[in-house]
Amino acid sequence: MTVIHQPETAEANVETMDWMAAQIKMPYTLTPGQATGIFLAELAGRRLIGSRHGDELIVPAQDFSGTTGEPATGFVEVAPVGTVQAFTTGATGTIGIILIDGSTVPFVHQLLGVEPEMLELGARVEAVWADEPTGGMLDLAGFAPLGSAATFEPKDDPADLAAAFEKVDYTMTLDYRHAYGPYYGTLFDGVKDGRRIRGVKCSACRRTLLPPRALCDICLAPTAEWVDVEAVGTVQASSVVHIEFIGQRLTPPYVYAEIVLDGTSTRLIHMVGDVDPDVAQTAAAPGARVRAVWSDRHTGSLADIDHFELLPGDET
Amino acid sequence: MMNTTTRRVAVVNSAQTVLSPAWPDRQHIDLISEAVAGALKGTGLRIEDVDFVIDSGSDFLDGRSISNCGFLGAMGAHHKEESRVEEDGLWSLSYAHDKIAGGSAKVGLVIAYSKPSESDVRNFWTGLLEPFLQRPVGLDQFSAAGLYAQRYLATAGLKADDLHAVSNRAWERAVANPYVDVAEVPGDAAFWNDPVSTPLRASDLARPADGAVAVLLASADVADQVSATPVWLTGLGSAIDQHFLAAREPDALPACAAATRSALRMAGLDDVRSFDLAEVSATSTVGELMVLEALGFAEAHRGLDAYVGATTINESGGALPADVIMATGLVRLHEAASRLAGRTGYETPGATSALVHGTGGFAMQNHCVVTMEVAS
Repeated sequence: MTVIHQPETAEANVETMDWMAAQIKMPYTLTPGQATGIFLAELAGRRLIGSRHGDELIVPAQDFSGTTGEPATGFVEVAPVGTVQAFTTGATGTIGIILIDGSTVPFVHQLLGVEPEMLELGARVEAVWADEPTGGMLDLAGFAPLGSAATFEPKDDPADLAAAFEKVDYTMTLDYRHAYGPYYGTLFDGVKDGRRIRGVKCSACRRTLLPPRALCDICLAPTAEWVDVEAVGTVQASSVVHIEFIGQRLTPPYVYAEIVLDGTSTRLIHMVGDVDPDVAQTAAAPGARVRAVWSDRHTGSLADIDHFELLPGDET
Repeated sequence: MMNTTTRRVAVVNSAQTVLSPAWPDRQHIDLISEAVAGALKGTGLRIEDVDFVIDSGSDFLDGRSISNCGFLGAMGAHHKEESRVEEDGLWSLSYAHDKIAGGSAKVGLVIAYSKPSESDVRNFWTGLLEPFLQRPVGLDQFSAAGLYAQRYLATAGLKADDLHAVSNRAWERAVANPYVDVAEVPGDAAFWNDPVSTPLRASDLARPADGAVAVLLASADVADQVSATPVWLTGLGSAIDQHFLAAREPDALPACAAATRSALRMAGLDDVRSFDLAEVSATSTVGELMVLEALGFAEAHRGLDAYVGATTINESGGALPADVIMATGLVRLHEAASRLAGRTGYETPGATSALVHGTGGFAMQNHCVVTMEVAS
C-alpha cells in the first residue's frame, strides 16, 4: 500500500489548516479463478462462455451458483445475443440487465448505441466486441440493438476453451480530504506559525496528551486545558530502518524513534537525525535526550520538524 | 414472549451527533467522542463500568486500514475488549446483545460513525463490487438503484413522480429533526425532476451524511438500576442476499424478509403491524418501499400504503435525508429507543414497541432487523 500525504501541495486551505489531502493507491493482482478466468479469456476470441449448474445456465460462467451453491458441471458456449430485462441511464451512460438466450441468470453490462427514450424492456441486443482486447470484462464492450449476430442454441462442452486467466492486474486509487478538526487544527496552526507544540491536559488524571484531543484516552474525561510543550524529550524506543519499501519517503538507513516530549504522557514518532546509523542503536537508545530541529518548511504538520537531534547526556 | 434461556438485554442510553452532509471542521474522533460522552452522560455508569466496545465503520471511507485502532481512545476502549464490525452499526449491536445475553459481559458500548464527505462515495460503493464482471461495466450505487426502480415501478404501476411522496415525507421529517442538518425541504426543480440514474432523481437517492452514534447496552440487573425506562431488545435477525445484482429478485428484498422472520420468531411475534414505531434504512425511495414490503408493513408493490398504516414509520426522516453509511441503522435504533424511553425531545406517548431495520453491502445486499419494547 502506498500512502501519500501531500499537505504542502494540497490546493488548499494552507492558511486555515482545515484539512489534509491524502491518496491511497493500491496495486493488486486479482485471481479470477477457473470459471470467470475462462469467461474473461474467451472474450478475446469473441465467444461468450456460461456454466451449467443443474437446471441453471449462468452467463458469465461461474464456479458455483449464487442461488443454489451448485458447482459448475460443464461449460457452454452461448450465442452473443440476449434480451434487456432492465436499464438505467446516468452520467456514465446506459447500463442494463441482460439475459443471454438460453441462460437462466442475467448479468449487468453497458448498452451501446441505444436511445434510452426509444429502448423498451424486452429489447433484443447483441454483443459489441472491443477492437483491441486488453484482457478483461471490457473486451466485451457491451450490447447494442440486434443486428446480424448469429443466434444458436447453447453449445455444451465447446472445443478448445482458452486457458483461464490466472490473474488480472488492478489498481485502486482513492483520494481523501481529511479534516483536522479543532484539536489537530490548533496544534498544526501553532506548529506552522509560531513553532509552538500544544497539547491538552486531562481534567481527571492531569496527564498531558499530544496530539491534543477532546477526551482523555484512559479516563474518557474532557480535556479542557491547553498547554505548551517544549520540543525536547526522551527516546523511549528507536529503530534503524534498513529495508526499502514502496512509498518510502527517506533513503535508508535512517533512525525512527518513539519520543516522549518533556511533560507529556504520550509518544511521538519521529526521525532522529545527525547520527551515524551504525552507532544509532546505542546513541539513540531508550533514555537518550533529543531536541527538535525545525526545517524551513511551514506546512503546519509535524514534518515541519526536520528531525530530532541528540543532546549530550547531561543536558536536561 | 422472551426466551428465558438467555439474559435480557436493554438499551439504557444512546446519543448521536448532528448528521451533516459534511463536518469539515471535525475529525472522526471528535464526532465519536461526542457520541460516546453523550451515551454515558446521566446514566451513572462510567467508562470503567463498560465491559467491551463494538464499533462499526469502514476503513475504505476512513482512508486508513484497521481504522478503529486509531480511534480507540475516543471510543473509550483503552485496555478493553474491542471489536470492529465492517457492517452497519446495527450488526455491532446484535453482536453486543449476544455477548451480554450469553452472560460473558454486563455492559457494552456500541458505536458507529462515518465521514463520507472526506472521499468520493462512489468509490466506496463500487469498491464493494466483485471486480471482474460488475465493477468494470459502470455499475454503481445510482445505476443499481435505477435498475431496481425501473422494474419496481413497472410492476407496481407507478410513475417516478409518485416517489415524490416518499422523499417529500422524509425530508419534511428531517427538517423537524434537530439532529439532521437541513433547514428546509430542498426546493430546486432539478433535485426533484432531473434524472440521476433513470428513472430516479436526486430526490430519490439517499444523501450521504457525516456523523456518529453510540448506544449503551446492559444486562437486566444493571439496566434496572441505571435506567427508569430500559428499552428491551426482544428480537434480532439478519440475512444476506447473493452478491451479483442481476441475479437477485428484480423488485423485492427476500433477505430483508428473512431477517424479519428471524427477529419476529425470537420476539414471539407474527405481525409487524403490532409495532407502534418503525425506523428503517434505505439507499433510495424505491429501496425504502421494498424494505417496508419485506418487513411486512405492506403487500408487495404497495409500499406506499405502509405510511398510512397503524405503525408510525420513520418519524426521524429515515435514511434518505441523512445516510451515515455504516451508522444509519444504529441511528435508526437510537431514534426508536429514544422515543420508546420518552427522552426529552423524543416524547412519544403510548409508544411501547418498535422495529428497527438496517442495511449494508452493495445495493442493500444485507439486512438486519431488531425489535424492542418498553414496559407499558
